[in-house]
Amino acid sequence: MRKWNLLWPFWAITIVHGVAILIFVKGFLLTRTELPFYSRCSDVSQSPCFTSDSLSDSNPSVPPSSGAANSSRCWTKPAVNRIIIIVFDALRFDFVAPSTFFEESKPWMDKLRVLHKMASERGLSAKIFKAIADPPTTSLQRLKGITTGGLPTFIDVGNSFGAPAIIEDNLIHQLVQNGKRVVMMGDDTWMQLFPHHFKKAFPYPSFNVKDLHTVDNGCIEHLLPSLYEDDWDVLIAHFLGVDHAGHIFGVDSSPMIEKLEQYNSILEKVVDVLERQSEPGGLHENTLLLVMGDHGQTLNGDHGGGSAEEVETSLFAMSFKKPPASVPSEFGTSSCQLDLEGREICTSTIQQLDFPVTLSALLGIPFPFGSIGRVNPELYALGAGTWKLEGMKVGNYINSREQEEWMQNYVNVLCINSWQVKRYIDNYTASSVIGFSDEDLLHTGSLYADAMENWSYISKDLLSNSDGMDVVPSLKRQIDAYSNFLASIAELARSKWTEFNLKLMTLGFGIMVASLFVHFIAIKRVGKQCGSSFATEDCGTTFELMLSCFMVAMRACSFLSNSFILEEGKVTSFLLATTGIFMLRYSITKQKHFLNVFIFLLLMIYCRFTIEVGLLKQADTSAFLKAYPSWVLEIASLLPGWTYITKSVPIIALILLAQLLLKNITSSHSKGVWKFVMYGTILCYILIGFHWALENEVLHFASAIEGIGKNCIPRIIYAIGLGQLSLLLFRQLFGEDKLLDCRITLLTKTAAMLAAWSPTIIILAGKQGSLVALASLIGGYCIIGMDNLKHGEDGNGRILTVDCLPVTQWSLFAICLFFSSGHWCAFDGLRYGAAFIGFDEFVLVRQAILLTIDTFGFSVILPIFGLPFIVAKKYSSSQASKGENTLFMRLSQAYLMYGLIMAVPVTASILCVIIQRRHLMVWGLFAPKFVFDVVALILTDVSICLATLYYVPHPDSC
Amino acid sequence: METEKKEMASKASPSVSIAEAFFVHLICGLGLALAFLIARHVYSADLISDPSRTLFLILIVECPIVILLYSRYRTDREQCSYLKAVARGILGLLAGAIINAFGAIVLGAPIGAQYLLKTLNWSLVMSSFSVVPSACVFGSSWMDWQRLFAYTKPNGTIDHMICIPAHGAIIGAWFGAWPMPLDWERPWQEWPICVSYGAVIGYSIAMVASLAFSHARSGLQHVKRD
Repeated sequence: MRKWNLLWPFWAITIVHGVAILIFVKGFLLTRTELPFYSRCSDVSQSPCFTSDSLSDSNPSVPPSSGAANSSRCWTKPAVNRIIIIVFDALRFDFVAPSTFFEESKPWMDKLRVLHKMASERGLSAKIFKAIADPPTTSLQRLKGITTGGLPTFIDVGNSFGAPAIIEDNLIHQLVQNGKRVVMMGDDTWMQLFPHHFKKAFPYPSFNVKDLHTVDNGCIEHLLPSLYEDDWDVLIAHFLGVDHAGHIFGVDSSPMIEKLEQYNSILEKVVDVLERQSEPGGLHENTLLLVMGDHGQTLNGDHGGGSAEEVETSLFAMSFKKPPASVPSEFGTSSCQLDLEGREICTSTIQQLDFPVTLSALLGIPFPFGSIGRVNPELYALGAGTWKLEGMKVGNYINSREQEEWMQNYVNVLCINSWQVKRYIDNYTASSVIGFSDEDLLHTGSLYADAMENWSYISKDLLSNSDGMDVVPSLKRQIDAYSNFLASIAELARSKWTEFNLKLMTLGFGIMVASLFVHFIAIKRVGKQCGSSFATEDCGTTFELMLSCFMVAMRACSFLSNSFILEEGKVTSFLLATTGIFMLRYSITKQKHFLNVFIFLLLMIYCRFTIEVGLLKQADTSAFLKAYPSWVLEIASLLPGWTYITKSVPIIALILLAQLLLKNITSSHSKGVWKFVMYGTILCYILIGFHWALENEVLHFASAIEGIGKNCIPRIIYAIGLGQLSLLLFRQLFGEDKLLDCRITLLTKTAAMLAAWSPTIIILAGKQGSLVALASLIGGYCIIGMDNLKHGEDGNGRILTVDCLPVTQWSLFAICLFFSSGHWCAFDGLRYGAAFIGFDEFVLVRQAILLTIDTFGFSVILPIFGLPFIVAKKYSSSQASKGENTLFMRLSQAYLMYGLIMAVPVTASILCVIIQRRHLMVWGLFAPKFVFDVVALILTDVSICLATLYYVPHPDSC
Repeated sequence: METEKKEMASKASPSVSIAEAFFVHLICGLGLALAFLIARHVYSADLISDPSRTLFLILIVECPIVILLYSRYRTDREQCSYLKAVARGILGLLAGAIINAFGAIVLGAPIGAQYLLKTLNWSLVMSSFSVVPSACVFGSSWMDWQRLFAYTKPNGTIDHMICIPAHGAIIGAWFGAWPMPLDWERPWQEWPICVSYGAVIGYSIAMVASLAFSHARSGLQHVKRD
């Protein structure tokens, strides 16, 4: 009963935190209601626009589409029969556009030369677009956006690992509904999104980022033969090589360039095959080739956020039909440049949002119900085969007849487009609890009404006198009116889709603040319990308390600025180093432990360097070279043993760790189970060393051994770790503590627990793992040493309550370790590679657990399970006589303090998310930070609960 | 034993009147202003445009002033001549620079060839603010150093004159580092510009504060004597 009395606050706090976060997340993370409505061919009769039939009746001279499409006329007149969509995952704009469009020519530019050639030679029917995606720029969200024409919301990011089928109306659904046959090859995410839609599919697993070739080779194998077949209308080939090469090697790397060269040769073949069959009556007479990226990537190969590099991808469109007519260019956004070979290439800009609706218009199928995009004039014209560059140079009125027809057609498409978007917005407002605000609806509604009214006049004119009057200016006005309406809707959707529920958010924040008070009261309560059994005394010097409060408050306040969030690691190490300098002052007054403090300061130098390296990796790879000028690298490469040094240092660190552990085993009184666990850990360390040695190129092993070692060793280590943990658990449940000294039992338990966790964490963290582990060991030792420093002379002064300063330092150090082990608070900061150490195939739960251990191993799990050291080291045996329970009261107080110190910054980051919810970077920076903090907090709470359960024994046993 | 020594030390140190302290601080402050003026008018540079030259100028102007002024208040007059005090001031400048540079690097000052000169000059200036005065006055008397910098228990006007500005400069520099990560993209956010500004401002404020302290203390002592 006594134990429960000590432990229940932890569980209560965990529950309160959970509730607060759940409520807040419900209000904050956007959820868009997905409407279960689908567009149908017959719907178009409700629109005020011409149907395609009536339009072509009134204008018989509109270029006739090929005979096959005539039978299935629907919303718009089909302009192309077949579409080939080649998706290159993470295709940056500068992969496609000529290098002359950019300030500097980089090695990865100008590799897809066939696209340049086509765009310059066939300026009439081929064009390069800069496609602007909407964040979040993860593949699943983008595929969803590309097919539904909506704005997938942030909450979907979580689904990226287990892609659920799209239930909204989408392009693929419309294709299937309207009798188009779709063939898919490549990334298997498509199969998860559209499980039953494809006529034929050749999916390949996409989650192993280390595998550059499986998906691509599978695509190539099926793509070219398919081009000779006529059993499909839409072909989708999704290549993943560039994305994976970026994730593993970065953009500026030879595998990336090889990949691009490979794609160039594939595209050459594809274009060649299509061209040969594009003669009238051929298989590809009226085919549109689209080469596109789903999103861009940073130079590190990361994507997910909203930075320009990530959202700017490219789209290359090419029609194999000869363009017959010309159209004015007012609606385009072309910019032209000469490429390296002196050919003129024009590029335009397109919103990725506009892609599905334009494609639907080209194919003549109903627009997806939830699409809010606009039919892009340039892409539409390209497909419709009526775009002519000469026309725009000479003037608008040369081919006025054809131009007029094209514009009439386009106006009609936009009319249907606007009607469909309006219908969606109205339906959405009606069926969703939180729709758009009345004010905005009124505004867009009036835009729509104006446009439609205008349209009714013009259409009357058009129908009454088909020639004589110049209708081009009025058509242009009409196009502008529709474009205005559609643009305002897109803007409205982008800004307001985030359905923040401020009430829930405030409630969640309020509960969080309340939990802080509960936390504080719980600390006081434990302190009082301690105090009541012994003499009353004041708790700690005020200066230390003030210092730790100041540090925590500074850290919490720093979250209000995006710059400080970006540099959180540096800020934390700055604060921690400041406490170190205060410790230096102490050590001067006490004239001892000077070496201890000095080592701590040196360790801080190590931390700040590793954090800076991590920051640079986050920002840019080229920035790394800027900050660490080339001479550093030169010297590094000149040193003869450099490669040996970099490869041997982790192993040496590992040996040191093992040695320390061995020393611990021999020196302490650990017996039985504990000893067994520690020997298991040493065995693991040996295995890790062997594993790394296998990875070295320096030592050559037979490839067979390498293959076994690559996966077997990590699995053995995981198994040993699990075995150790269950052994400890078993011991806890059924073993009896025969040792009389609680302190030593606690120390042994802690050491065994840390020993059981460490090999798994180290192998997941990679080669830096052993270094970080060593650093954390030294850091922990120094913090405990510095804590002793203050109390050495005080004797019995303040033994009863825990000091907050070492606990604060402990938590700050834990956060420093998070950053110095190469993590940062963004989804691209997750080291996905770690999830695949020891496993090749993807299983959601297993990989998620490994990723969590990798991300929070050093910053949450180890510090929390190691916290008893602070308490136990200070608790000298002379005080043990005063009562065993004191030790565990202090332990629980330390855990409460640790929890409070972790909860305060999370509360601050919740507050800052509330304040900054309309900030430009809310999805790029604040939301990821919030998610990381919240996950870390929940993990901290749960770990603390488990740790206290494990460490605090039954009152009678100890 | 310890208290006896302390008393000895305080007895040995010459008493400094408030007016004298005021003049010392005034000259130090004027020296700083002079350094900035020279930088502006002679070299047409300031901390932002050319931090390392400006810091060097501040060092050249301020350091001799500090050494020469504070050496007059050396505690152990019998064993230590004026010149010796000046010499240990110069020694203290170098030692203090190393300590300051180490502290800055621990806290996260950037390292690299382009920062080397700036860090060097900055740490010398910081040293002349914080370490040099007490090096001149106390020399190698560990007890006095400990009293001022570890316990922070200044005793008497001369202690105030040394201790408070030194702490002011260091605390000012610490706070001066805070705007550095902000994304305002101002030139003064570079290392060590805003840190130097913080140090100079902290130092100046602390000089005024030290005068106020000394004044209040002397008033208190008068009351006690009465």
